[in-house]
Amino acid sequence: MTIADSQPFIRPDGKEKVTGAGRYTADLNLTGQLYAKFRYADHSHARILSIDTAPAAALPGVFAVLTWRDVPAVLYGGYVQDRRLFAKEKVRWEGDVVAAVAARTPEIAAEAAGLIEIQYEVLPAQIDFEANAAAEAPLIHEQWAEYEADESVGLAGNILGHSSVVKGDADAAMAKAAIVVKSRYVADASQGAPIEPRAISAEWHGDKVTIWSSTQVPFAARSGVAHALDIAESQVRIIVPLLGGGFGSKCDFHFEAHIAALARATQRPVKLVFSRREEFLAPDHRREGMIIELETGTDPAGRLLARRGRLVLDKGAYCGEGGFFAQMAAMHACGPYKIDTINIDSYLNYSNSQPSGSVRAPTAPQACWALEQHMDEVATAVGIDPVELRRLNIIEEGDVGPTGQIFEAIGAKETLTAALEMIGYGQELPDDEAIGVACGWWPSFGSASGAYVKLNSDGSGTIITGAMESGTGAVMGLPLLAAQTLGMKPEDFSILYQDTDAGPWDMGSSGSQTTFNNGRAVIAAATEVRSKLLDMAAEELEAHRDDLVLAEGAVRVKGSPESHVTIAHLAGTGEPILGKGSGVVPDSPEVDASTCVGRLGLESFLAPQLMTQAVRVKIDRATGVVQVLEVAAAHDSGVIVNKIGADGQVYGGVLMGIGQALTEATVFDEEGRQRNPDLLHYKLQTASDAPEIQIRWIEIDTPNAGPNGSKGVGEPPSVPTPGAVGNAVAKLVGRHVDRLPMTAERVWNTLDAARAGTP
Amino acid sequence: MSVPASATLLHVVREQIGLTGSKEGCDDSECGACMMLLDGEPVNSCSYLAVQADGSAITTVEGLAPGDTLAPLQEAFLVAGGVQCGFCTPGMLISATRLLRDNPDPTTDEVRLELSGNLCRCTGYDGIVKAVMEVAARTAEKSAGD
Ligand code: FES
Ligand code: FES
Repeated sequence: MTIADSQPFIRPDGKEKVTGAGRYTADLNLTGQLYAKFRYADHSHARILSIDTAPAAALPGVFAVLTWRDVPAVLYGGYVQDRRLFAKEKVRWEGDVVAAVAARTPEIAAEAAGLIEIQYEVLPAQIDFEANAAAEAPLIHEQWAEYEADESVGLAGNILGHSSVVKGDADAAMAKAAIVVKSRYVADASQGAPIEPRAISAEWHGDKVTIWSSTQVPFAARSGVAHALDIAESQVRIIVPLLGGGFGSKCDFHFEAHIAALARATQRPVKLVFSRREEFLAPDHRREGMIIELETGTDPAGRLLARRGRLVLDKGAYCGEGGFFAQMAAMHACGPYKIDTINIDSYLNYSNSQPSGSVRAPTAPQACWALEQHMDEVATAVGIDPVELRRLNIIEEGDVGPTGQIFEAIGAKETLTAALEMIGYGQELPDDEAIGVACGWWPSFGSASGAYVKLNSDGSGTIITGAMESGTGAVMGLPLLAAQTLGMKPEDFSILYQDTDAGPWDMGSSGSQTTFNNGRAVIAAATEVRSKLLDMAAEELEAHRDDLVLAEGAVRVKGSPESHVTIAHLAGTGEPILGKGSGVVPDSPEVDASTCVGRLGLESFLAPQLMTQAVRVKIDRATGVVQVLEVAAAHDSGVIVNKIGADGQVYGGVLMGIGQALTEATVFDEEGRQRNPDLLHYKLQTASDAPEIQIRWIEIDTPNAGPNGSKGVGEPPSVPTPGAVGNAVAKLVGRHVDRLPMTAERVWNTLDAARAGTP
Repeated sequence: MSVPASATLLHVVREQIGLTGSKEGCDDSECGACMMLLDGEPVNSCSYLAVQADGSAITTVEGLAPGDTLAPLQEAFLVAGGVQCGFCTPGMLISATRLLRDNPDPTTDEVRLELSGNLCRCTGYDGIVKAVMEVAARTAEKSAGD
């Protein structure tokens, strides 16, 4: 049973959000605060010859101007440590921070930032990330060989990472295949684009800095600040006020250390609030551009015998946390299918553009968009319906995955059946409408996570957790789990969260992992509380522990309901009642992936989530404008803990996927500058663009799942949407649109080429 | 009160008056997070000079219901899943309030069209549209019963 069946659940942070009383980071002001402004690089690729901060420092109202000289000479980055807080020898993209100013007003800070004089030797901007891998391409990081790097990544010159998936002899199998289909697809970069631009405030108390930040990952931000400023983690406290969305783009450590350094230099609190333009330009975080080449060989019936592939991903200027993208993309170029032999190489290349970072299911929507359209092309070549091809090849329990993983109970085929049924696949449609289908997958991420649960003297409970709420409702759902364990009501619990000095370490709002990992921790902590309550009640009621049950806020003796003691009474005795827990994190399935390189832990998918989406679209052939009319989303995310929250992730994720499919692209000019860093030219979907979305949860009992049998929920919804839209569009256009997003112009051009019969 | 000639209405309400319910998502009239009612009409306050509002009645999200109570729309947003991160919510509620005042019995398409000046990145608008329709239906029921 899902808990949501029995009780509607209002999110605990809801009331402050609808009344305007809730505080987000930019809403906070500290007494005596100064305002920060960055001076960004003036070129995408240039050597810095000199920096003169004197004209800025001389401006009245300026309290500090910092450059690389003012902070420890420390490099940072997730898999490759290739970045400094302030650019030193070179700038490598337009958002590289060269200097930071703190001043009495934001206006003075901005004026001062403009007065800093920087001399450059301008270098050609290397935007073509595919070409950057060539041996003769100049190096973007000349010192790459000296960088500290995870050995498995495969850093070599302008190639930051190389991963492969190799299974059997794909060349031999391809040579024997009855049908061989080759495709090439190219996806543009795009953005997470939360509606809240990021904000940070920092204030020192003695040797300790408190930082309020709109981050999705407070503990990662804490480590980043400690590392970059060369101080102890215990000297850093990160507090996250309400967070106005993230979608991955506020993962990783970004600007917290810059602001902490300014606050230390000025001995004043310092506040930074990004404009929308900066929110587009400055974060080293956007969805990666990608080139996807695929080749598939089948037998005459359409069984997949061989897959070869070559993927090239745009890493931009720095690694950040995105070092695993090559491997993740390679797994998504395989997809949730049985394939006898595979040989896929995936490269993550540096370029002089904005660094890419995790955005909702990083790499998956683009790779899935290409793969699923390729699958439709294969079906056409075989001469069967695309849905038949998928039915024939989709993974089921007992099947062997791309790297030898043997799948346990999995609802892949059920999602396919459900999505087709909901959309009415096969129905007669007007000639400007078509239905497209795509399947996708995404792993669950096991991670250490902890929580405390304590009871207060009035009988209410408090959950103290390191988990992070970015809006998805994941943390808001934790009281459901504690309440279930303790026979209390979810409303009985408050949550103390988003403060690194309060809760145990947590990975944060990334990887759709909160319920999966922290949910487990909350249940473990609540179980300790439960045990304590049973002991106390056994004594009080002179009964045996085993004869007691917890229900409706009381401990009762089984069979004699009048013999009971309330939890409030036990909690009010003065005896502290506190439980702690972490739960046991399941390991990723063991596989022998020794034939693959660039193994970073994604060679098997823990408790994989499976989804199929079917979309009905309408085309205006005169303009190329595509409208999505209806989406049917069937997902196996295990058992759903909080239905209203889970549904919300699908509604939001699918619409984000439609945006990525049709309108959302960050366009770079030849100099590596963003051409459309605003919401007028970077088009998000509006309420009137949103189609009707039907959802069905395939609740399969999954081994290694999280609490109550749950898996992740937040990232998968965006994965198959662009592919499903692409397949629907292709049916109307007569060939596949090979660029993402599939803008009206690109659709029209493809239509025109199809009519003219040109390649 | 006196305000700088160049200050936006949003800036004055947030920084001088101290009501931070209205949000700044873009500063160029693209997102609607800063939406307020000015003499009953919606404006994107990030792109509206405070001096132009002299003498006008201004409603922000803080003024949608008296004291500690919630307006039916605020309640409905919570129940229908119309709130996730909540950053678009203040502007969205203002927009929806105006919509129902002028058109108490809208179609779903009308609601979608009227709210298209307010961007939400989290909810896919589903819970928001449902909340507005729900309040409209309840109002219609009530007036039918009167
Ligand atoms: S902040 Fe005013 S419309 Fe975006
Ligand atoms: S709820 Fe997050 S932007 Fe609407």
